Parts: sequence; structure tokens; C-alpha cells
Amino acid sequence: MSPLSPPSPALPALPALAALAVLLLMAPALPGIAVKTKALLTGRRGAPVMQLYHDLWKLLRKRTLLNPATTWLFRAGPVAVIVSTVAAALLLPLDGRAAILSFAGDLVAFAGLLALGRFALVLAGLDTGSSFEGMGASREVTFAAFAEPGLLLCLAALALATGDLTLRGMLGAPLAAAWPRAAAPLALVGISLFVLLLAECSRGPVDDPATHLELTMIHEVIVLDHGGPDFALVLLGGALKLALFGALVVGVFAPRAGLGAAAAIAVLAAGLAAVAVGVGVVESVMARLRLSRVPQLLVGASALALFGILLLLR
Amino acid sequence: MSTLGAVSAVGTASTASTASTVNAAPLQLLAAGVLLVLVAGVARAALSRRPAAGDALYRAGFAAGGLAAALAALAVLAGASPPEVRITATTPGGPWVFGLDALSAVFLLAVAVAGTASALYGVTYLRREPHPRPAGVAHLLMAVLVAAMMLVVAARAAVPFLIAWEVMALSAYFLVVFEHDRPEVRRAGLLYLAVTHAGTLALFVLFAAWAGEGRDLGFAALAARAASLPAGGALVLALALLGFGAKAGVVPLHVWLPEAHAAAPSHVSAVMSGVVIKMGIYGLLRVVVLLGAPPAWWGWLVAALGAASGVLGVLWALAQHDLKRLLAFHSVENIGIILLGIGAGSLGITYGHPAMAVLGFGGAALHTLNHALFKSLLFFGAGAVVQATGTRDLERLGGLARRMPGTAAAFLAGAAAIVGLPPLNGFVGEWLVYRSLLPGAATVAGAAGDASRLAILAVPALALIGALALACFVKVIGIVFLGHGRDDTALAGAREAPPGMLGPAFALAAACALIGLLPALVLAPALRVGALVAHRGAGVAALDLGGLSAAGPMTVFALALAAALALAWLARPLLARGPRAAAPTWGCGYPAPTPRMQYTASSFAAPLLLELRPLAGVHERRTAGAFATHAVDPVLAGLVLPAWRGLRAAADRLRPLQRGRLALYVLYIVAALLALLLYLLAAGGGATPTGGAAP
Repeated sequence: MSPLSPPSPALPALPALAALAVLLLMAPALPGIAVKTKALLTGRRGAPVMQLYHDLWKLLRKRTLLNPATTWLFRAGPVAVIVSTVAAALLLPLDGRAAILSFAGDLVAFAGLLALGRFALVLAGLDTGSSFEGMGASREVTFAAFAEPGLLLCLAALALATGDLTLRGMLGAPLAAAWPRAAAPLALVGISLFVLLLAECSRGPVDDPATHLELTMIHEVIVLDHGGPDFALVLLGGALKLALFGALVVGVFAPRAGLGAAAAIAVLAAGLAAVAVGVGVVESVMARLRLSRVPQLLVGASALALFGILLLLR
Repeated sequence: MSTLGAVSAVGTASTASTASTVNAAPLQLLAAGVLLVLVAGVARAALSRRPAAGDALYRAGFAAGGLAAALAALAVLAGASPPEVRITATTPGGPWVFGLDALSAVFLLAVAVAGTASALYGVTYLRREPHPRPAGVAHLLMAVLVAAMMLVVAARAAVPFLIAWEVMALSAYFLVVFEHDRPEVRRAGLLYLAVTHAGTLALFVLFAAWAGEGRDLGFAALAARAASLPAGGALVLALALLGFGAKAGVVPLHVWLPEAHAAAPSHVSAVMSGVVIKMGIYGLLRVVVLLGAPPAWWGWLVAALGAASGVLGVLWALAQHDLKRLLAFHSVENIGIILLGIGAGSLGITYGHPAMAVLGFGGAALHTLNHALFKSLLFFGAGAVVQATGTRDLERLGGLARRMPGTAAAFLAGAAAIVGLPPLNGFVGEWLVYRSLLPGAATVAGAAGDASRLAILAVPALALIGALALACFVKVIGIVFLGHGRDDTALAGAREAPPGMLGPAFALAAACALIGLLPALVLAPALRVGALVAHRGAGVAALDLGGLSAAGPMTVFALALAAALALAWLARPLLARGPRAAAPTWGCGYPAPTPRMQYTASSFAAPLLLELRPLAGVHERRTAGAFATHAVDPVLAGLVLPAWRGLRAAADRLRPLQRGRLALYVLYIVAALLALLLYLLAAGGGATPTGGAAP
């Protein structure tokens, strides 16, 4: 690790805002990078990396389809997903130093915001009365029940390693200082977070984003009835969530507190792209797990974080 | 009780009045509240011939009484410290003392707000019941119950505490068996009565063991004796867990709770789940206050019981198809969360981490208040649904959000709050409990050998509880309020609840939102309660509560999130392009869907229950043409009932002795005498007259 330089006092919010802008603008490219990686590894050309931007633009110009069976909850779901995901991004120190909003224990708020988005989206799915969407909702909350303890364990391990209860500290300068003395537990936490990313962001081997059979879907089947701008918001929310978890993984493995603002943001962008490539590699080399195996994978990820905690408690 | 005239508030109040006369006001307000509530109940019972006038009087009296008690609580939480009132005439167990401190006040606030809302809701609810029963006595019992709880938290001596406790337990029993013509209600009532009396028995033993030789059962005298208790008060602490734990519904003493809460009328379920079980929490915290530092094993035990109650409670809730039983199991879950806070607080005292102690107890107190608000609210919604449809079975409901939009919105708010989603009050309370379990510069100074750092292992349990609760409430809202109705006969006449039921529900929802949006209002008082329990009354200023509570940034966060959600919702039409087109639900090309093809509550919960099958208590029944799942309480069905049956079977062995023939009984007597004689002969050898004991 490079020696720490004190965070620059002048306008700490400006690099943070710039990093947030990079994250938001780059998010739709991440699924594209994963798909491209997968295609190249399996000997195909694949869709363009920027495909999701085109899809979003197309959907935003479409008419809204309204299911007469639904209530306002159906329309509120996508909005809440976007707001909660962006709000969660505000809590992360994306430029390596400062978060736009930070308070002791904000890691709980981070998990709470993700839960809020999930709550809204799953209820929007159930609002249609579709059996498919009920199935997807059930699977989503089932896997979340196994993923959430894992996420909190990872964050608690970071808090334990850094002695800091803010995400700003847990992923900022105190983390950089903690790496030399706690490399093994921190690496375990990073790996665990990557596995949670695969589950939370509906990537393989948990979900198959390329499937077109409703019965095998998890996330996509919840939003079968959303269309037009609503569906655009859902897709954007999914990409943002991938970027959010990617930023967590990058934050653990590449603390950027010692870098200048521009360099830190560049590392963030490169790290996000690397995470997306990693997702593509995993999806290329692994078959999708049976649904009943997924909780075992998630419990395994939690166990990694738990090992990290036990190492730190020694 | 000829001593009411001899109340000598003068004794202490007059001395204190030199300092400030305002100080005595909270206790006077509380007394006024208790009296008003009781008068309202009596008036309603007396006016049973003229229910309209009685209802109006009852509403006004109860609301005024609740307001007075709430004001008393708020004054104390804002920092007032009223003097204690003593009844000095010859009362059993030493003088009877009443007082209010911050710990009492937070529970008093819960009693006043949730109790009053439930009583007001109950007026309309009972009037609309399909088979009306005389409501007067139910309203009177409700008034007695709420007044008794106000006295439970104000009592400062064992005897008045136990009297109020028993009045509370019995009035709650009579309310539970209000619909006593149904056998399952009588069964649930009997179970509740047995458990609550077993718990009271434990409390009798507790206070007797604590007082020892002393005649004074005042709390001050007990606190003075705390240091001389053997084994650090281990017996007292164990009995407190038993007696207060049974009231609170801690696993495995929860067996009465889902039965009683499901059997009671909905406004009674609301007050029982919302506040009556919290009296057990109050008792535990009061014991910690009086006893001083609990030993380490107690903190770990409480935390472990909390984790078990939380996880098992929510898991069993997930398995239910009965709306009110489901909500009742969620009370077990939330008691678990509260116990996690108490456990962390206790460990904080034991291991000398004041911040951990203050956060843990403060989180427990705040979550208690929050749960009173949102659990009562949820039972109000459930009552409206049950009344509108005539069924509690989730599998027959559906699509009620379109028929009952107000009820659906209120229930949604309560669900989001209980799940702990920002920016509502459940999040604030759980955040405090998380803080007490998590390490941090302020909490644990990083000593490697410090066992209190192991409290971090409860974090995944709390996360699991939260995620399972989310799954369960998504299930309830999705199945009850969204989609299409599954049973036309149940839903044909479903109408929105009247303002008399929606009003209290919206008032509680507003309280949930207020606490969630402005955590700065509640965090400082909650931490003051925590400091009081953690025995940091004076040293609390040194703890830097501002840094501990993070009240400012929390408030900014909550308000910003709410504003962003509202703005995004309002801006949503900007995305619309052209007129909306209607499109039916995607059915994968299937041409004739019916509402029966929707996912059901059972199918929704099945994957989770399948994964956690050993704990879930779901029984499957398969026949050639049908498949059914049935949720049972594993503790009741697997532990309590078999033990009871074993006892019965053992007793049955003795039945042949009782034949009802006199000659046989005379034979028993002769045989017994003969056996005694033989024993005396064998023991004494006949030489010494051992029978001298006979008078």
C-alpha cells in the first residue's frame, strides 16, 4: 500500500460528485462488458458493449403500458428502485475518500436501501396477480434472505478491521491502513462480496440473464409486465445495482485514499470494468446452479466473511 | 384500600416543590390519565342501554386520558424528573411508591398512544361485528387494562406492581375470551391464563427471594439489597427471564401468544401485541436498573434468546396462512430484536463499554415504542380485512387494495416500518440495535481479548431476521391486497373500513413516519433511557451522545430519501410518451387464466420453508387428490403438549385406585395404618414410643 496522504480539505464533495457521475454513467455499460466477455470466451462476437444504452433510449421513447389489474404500487416500484439505489451510492466513498452523505452506522442504511428497492420491486411484480411474477418474487426474497446476512457480515468485518462505522471510513483511508495487518480477512471479505454481487445482481451461476423461459427466471420474471419507461427504469436500476456492488468490491480490493482525485476515479472505472469482466468469466466457466443449491452458495459466501471476522477477532 | 385518602404526595412533592413546582406535573397528569380512562370505561359500561352516548363519552374520556398520560411521558422524556409519590398508610410490603423516570416514560408513551388508538378503533370495530355482543363490558375491560398498564410502569414497590400486573393479566384474559362461544377461543384463553399465572408465580418468588428477611418491598429497598444477593442475583435474574419472558413471549415461552392474539378481537390483539407483551420487556429492564451490573452469562443468554426468538418467530410467521396468527408470530420476532438490544446493553455494562450499553438499551427502548406503533397499526389493518371479508385465511383473499385503498395504504406503511425500511421508524430502532452489536472506535477500544467483541456474531442473525420479515410482509401484502381475489364469496361484500377504524390507523402510520423522518426527535430521549438503564445517569454527558446518535446526519438522510422518493414519483409522468395503453397480465400465451392460478401464500413461502425445514414446523398432508400444508408451532406441538400428555398419562395410571366404593376406601385407610405401624415397629423396635407426635 502506498503511504497515506491526508484527504484534501478543499471541496471534498467535488471529486465525490464526479465519481458518482462516472458510476451512474458507466453503469449501463457493465452488463454489456459482461456479455461481451462471455461471448468472446465462448467464441462468439456478441452484442455491442453499449447495447443497454440503446435499449434504454428505445424504451424511454415508448408508450406506457398499463395493466388494468394493477394499483399505484405497480408504477411506484421502478421509481423506488432507482431512488433507493442512487441513495445507496451516495453513502459510498466512490472517490476513495469522501461520501456525499455519511454517518456512523450508515452501513445499516446501505442494506436498508437495498431492501427498500427489493420490497418495492417485488410488490410491483405481485401487483399483477401473475403466477410467474409471484414465483419470481418468491425466489427473489428467498435468495435475499440468505444474501443479506452475508452482506452485513462483510460490512461488519470491514468495520471490525478499520474500527470505523461509516462506509466512508470502512472503504476509505482506514481500510488502506488496515490492509497490511489484515490482508487475509479483507481478501475473504472481498471474495464474499463478489459472490453476493453475482446473486444480488442476478448474474450466473445464480440467475441466467440470457434465459427466455419464464420458469427458469428469477429477477426478470418479476418485471414481465413492466414496459416502456417503467421497464427502462427497472433495467437501469439493475445496472446501477451491479455498479454499486462492483464499487463495493473495488473499494475493498483497491482502496484509493492515497491517490489523487482523477487517478482515484480512473481506478474506480477500471475496477468496475474488471468486475464486469470477472462476472463474464464466471458466467462462461460455470453452469447455472440448481435453485436449491443457491442458498448453499450464499451461506458459503457468508461463511467466508465469518471466517474473516473470526480472524480479525483473534 | 382505605389508604387512598392518605396519599402523601406532600411528603416528597412539597420538598421538591421548592425546587420547581412544574416537576410534580407529570405524575398528576398520569393520575388524571388513569382516572379519565377508568371513568370512560365505567361510563360506557353504565350507559350500555344508550350505546351512542356511551361511545361518545368513552371516546372523549379515553382520548383525554391517553393524551394526559402521553403528555406526562413526553415531559419526562424531555428531561423533567418528577418526585415519587408515597402512600405511607399501613400498606402491605412497606410503603407504596409511584414515580416516573425516563424508562417508565417510554413504556407509558407506548401504552398511551397504542392503547388509546386501540380503544378508539375498538368502538367502531365492535359496533360493526357481524354477531354483536354486549360491547360495554369489553370497553370497560379495555379501560381497566390500559389503566393497569399505566400503573405497572409507574409502580415503585413490589406489591402495587404485582397488583397492577395481575389486573392487567386478568383483564387481558377476559378480553381474549370475549368471543367465548367459540371453543378455540376458550382453549386459547386457558393457555394464556396458565402461562401468565405461571409467570406471575415466578415474579412472586422473584420478589420474595430478593426481599429476603426485609419487610420493605419498595424498589429502593430492593435496590439497596442488590449487592448482598447471592451469586450476583443469579436467582433473581433467572426468575425475571422466566416471569417477564413469559409475558413478553420469548421462545420457548411464547406458546400462548399466537393463540391468544389470534383469538382476541382485533383491537385487543392490537393492544396485546403492541403493548401488553412489552410490559415483560419493561420488567426485565427495571430489574437491570435495580440490580446493577448483570453477570456476563445473563447478557449472553438474553442475546441468544433474542436471536432465537427473532429467527424462529419470523420463520414461524412465514409458515402461517392465518393473518392474525402471522402477525402474532411477528411479535415474537420483534421481542427477539428487543432482547438482542437488551443483551448487548447488558454485555456493555458487564465488560465496561458504556457506549455499547447505552446503544443497546436505547435501541431496545426505541424498538419497543416503534413496535407498539406499527404492530397495533398492522392489527388494525388485519381487523379491517377480517371484518370486510369474514376470513383470516390468506389463501381466500386477494386484490383488496382496489376495494380498500385506505386500509391497504395504512397496512403498507406498517409493513414497511416493521421490516425496518428507511425512512420509517423501524429502521431507526434497528439501526440503534445494530450499532450496539457492531464494533467501532466508540464502542470497543480494540482490546483483542475482550469477549464483548463476540457480540458482532449477532449481526447476521439480525440481518436474517430483517430479510425474512421482508419476505413475510411481501407475502402478506402481495396475497391479501394485490392481485385478484381468490374467493369470490369472501370478497364480494368487501368494503373500505369506516373513518372510525381508518383514523386510528392513519394516526399510528403518521407517528411511524414522524419518528422515521425526524430521528433527531427520538434519538436523544432513547439514548437517555439507555443511559438510565446502563447506570450512566450522570456520566451520560461524557459519552458524547451527539456523536453516538448521529441524529443530525440521520435526519438529513431520512428527509432527503423521503423527498427524493416523493419528487421521483411526482416527476414520473414526465417520462410518459403518448397515451397509456391497457395491456392484460402476461400469461405465457395461456388463453383462460383464473384467479386460482395465482401464487398462493403457501407457494410463496415454500422455498424458504423448504430450506429451513427442520425449524419451520410445516406439516404436509398428501392424499390422492389433494395436497395441504399445515403450520404448527413446533414448541407447542413438539414440547409443551407432549409433556402435558405425559403428565396426564402418568396420572391416568393412578385412576384404578378411585373406584367409588366405600369399602375399598376403608381398606386403603386400614392398609395405610397397617403400613405405618409396621414402619414404626421396624424403625423404633417397639421399645421407644415414637408415636409421641400425635396430639
